Amino acid sequence: MIIIGERINGMFNDIGEAIKNQDPKPIQEWAVKQLEAGATYLDANVGPAVEDSPEVMKWLVEVIQDEVDAPVALDTTNIDAIEAGLEVHKGTAMINSTTAEQDKLDKLLPLVKEYEAELIGLAMDKSGVPKDSETRTAKAMQIIANADAHGIPMENIFIDPLILPVNVAQEHAPEVLDTIRQVKLLADPAPKTVLGLSNVSQNCNNMKLINRTFMVMAMAAGLDAAIMEANDEGLVDSIATAEILLGNDVYCDSFLNQFRKTS
Amino acid sequence: MGLTGLEIYKKLPQTNCGECGPPTCLAFAMQLAEGKAKLDQCPDVSDEAKQALNAASAPPIETVAMGTGDYEIEVGGETELFRHDKTFFNQPGVAISVSDEEGADDIADKIEKINALTFERVGQVIELGMIAVVNDSDDADTFVEAVKVVAENTERTLILVSQDPAAIEGALAEVADRNPLIYAAVEANYEEMTELAKENECPLAVKGDDLDSLAELTKKVKDLDYDNLVIDSGSRDTAQVLADQTVIRRLSIKKKFRPVGFPTITFTEADTVAEEVMQASTYVSKYAGIVVLSNALELAEVLPLLTVRQNIYTDPRVPVTVEPNKVYEVGEPDETSPVFITTNFSLSYYSVEGDVSGGKLDAYIIPIDTDGTSVLTGWAADKFGGKKIGEIMTEETDIEDRVNHKKVIIPGHVAVISGKLEEASGWDVLVGPRECSGIPSYIASRWEQELGA
Repeated sequence: MIIIGERINGMFNDIGEAIKNQDPKPIQEWAVKQLEAGATYLDANVGPAVEDSPEVMKWLVEVIQDEVDAPVALDTTNIDAIEAGLEVHKGTAMINSTTAEQDKLDKLLPLVKEYEAELIGLAMDKSGVPKDSETRTAKAMQIIANADAHGIPMENIFIDPLILPVNVAQEHAPEVLDTIRQVKLLADPAPKTVLGLSNVSQNCNNMKLINRTFMVMAMAAGLDAAIMEANDEGLVDSIATAEILLGNDVYCDSFLNQFRKTS
Repeated sequence: MGLTGLEIYKKLPQTNCGECGPPTCLAFAMQLAEGKAKLDQCPDVSDEAKQALNAASAPPIETVAMGTGDYEIEVGGETELFRHDKTFFNQPGVAISVSDEEGADDIADKIEKINALTFERVGQVIELGMIAVVNDSDDADTFVEAVKVVAENTERTLILVSQDPAAIEGALAEVADRNPLIYAAVEANYEEMTELAKENECPLAVKGDDLDSLAELTKKVKDLDYDNLVIDSGSRDTAQVLADQTVIRRLSIKKKFRPVGFPTITFTEADTVAEEVMQASTYVSKYAGIVVLSNALELAEVLPLLTVRQNIYTDPRVPVTVEPNKVYEVGEPDETSPVFITTNFSLSYYSVEGDVSGGKLDAYIIPIDTDGTSVLTGWAADKFGGKKIGEIMTEETDIEDRVNHKKVIIPGHVAVISGKLEEASGWDVLVGPRECSGIPSYIASRWEQELGA
């Protein structure tokens, strides 16, 4: 399981303040903390407090990579901000994200190719989040076929089937699980799959329990990655346990620690 | 395994005409992948697309049969890169080569030696099943004579090694009914060779100079409508053979690349027999369908190779067992020696056996048939109960004639079965240690005293 730490996001007050004041410290602290907890990627989102500009994204990437040696997921829909982030990023960057709209893909995919980046593709277009798994899978296919035409390896594409909060959009969760299964069959080698996990429990009671339970279900369906609260220990324990039960990691008595060490 | 949506989409005409039903070629490709549509709904579908879909339903590696009678073998038909993922199915054929320059008497002597290369291992008779006759003389008649001598002296499956169609034609006139492998079709002779293979319905080896030329050549042979093939990438250096074998297996299984979807043949080329056997062991482990040796002729040389082959092709999904319900002797036991009960799971049996012999004890061990499960697993599944063990001891083994005491030792973990076992066998049941590592000290401190009791 590829864990993408969600915490460096301007919608959290401490990060929002830090970005506004150009104060690297809270950002770098969260970078270290999330990696120690088991994350391998760090999502970076400017948030609502300041304008989502190329300069801010560039600063954010540099601040993070000054402190830690980890790839950053550039979380923005602003293509100029993505390009600015890619320019300064060390190693393989991830772009979070695009939808299946053709004009977006036409602009973004050459950048993905040029920088050998990874790309999160949302299984939707301007008509919104699809209701059923068939439409989600079709949108995913649109992204995959376009990426393939640009010569981008399937392993660099992460399809996000879009999970919605279970309290207001309960019927979506099973469709998302089905989409994960379907997407793994679209190409060989298969594209990867990713979820914005915390979305499933927005404004619900027992958020952590909901996150953890859905995570395990999604892993059983073939999920490869999640943007999530890396410092939720119960969640990481559940992931480590699911990896054992799926036969992805070899069992040992200290499997909870091993997962954190090796991821 | 079917084709993925993306693979199908790339083969579609990209016209988005909608005549197939779905609005776009992309949507049609996804319906095809899910089995919800048929390819002939598309008005512009190409032959290439049809072939691709056919390829998806065929097994990744053809199964090719050769030889007749006891020595008929099937090679190929494999689906795995690593045996632990499922199993390797068809053991590779192992051949020794005989040169047609050696003269009839020497050939007959050599064949006699090869016929004698046989041994028994874990209850199976293992033999060397193939002989390759090599046309070193470059003379067709000499070759045909040599093939005749070999065929008269052995039942084993033949490989006819010559690139001269006249030599192969002459040899086939003698031995075609034994379904030999023809080696080999190359760029210069493939049309004649393919014709001969077709007429005689014999498997044909195709040899390239490297992987690229091999793939080109198999395509040409397949275009002549023959696919009863074995392939050779032409390399003889161990590292290159290993690389080629790996690429061939990966391409055929992972990419469904049909031109190399056939069993392979490899040839050793080494200075010493020891090196040759190591080379051959590598090829057996790494996907070879047939391995041809050129120097090994002694049992001591081929025994390790055939043992490697047997081990590598053992099904890892089935527990390895020892023959159950009989008395095994460790050391030199006599009528006062202890009797141990365990299960026929080989790991359990050999753990006990190892600790008994490691402790320099003389003893009898009776492995009970638990379908190859361990002591606790067998007990939990009701395959290792006191009644059953008692019946097997007294009715199926001769242990009562071998010892003058009536004391049997059971694993400590199943102490609870001792009552039923005593009832069923009439023997005194001694509960041994839970772990067999405790056997030597258990015997040292208890056995004399128990015997006297």
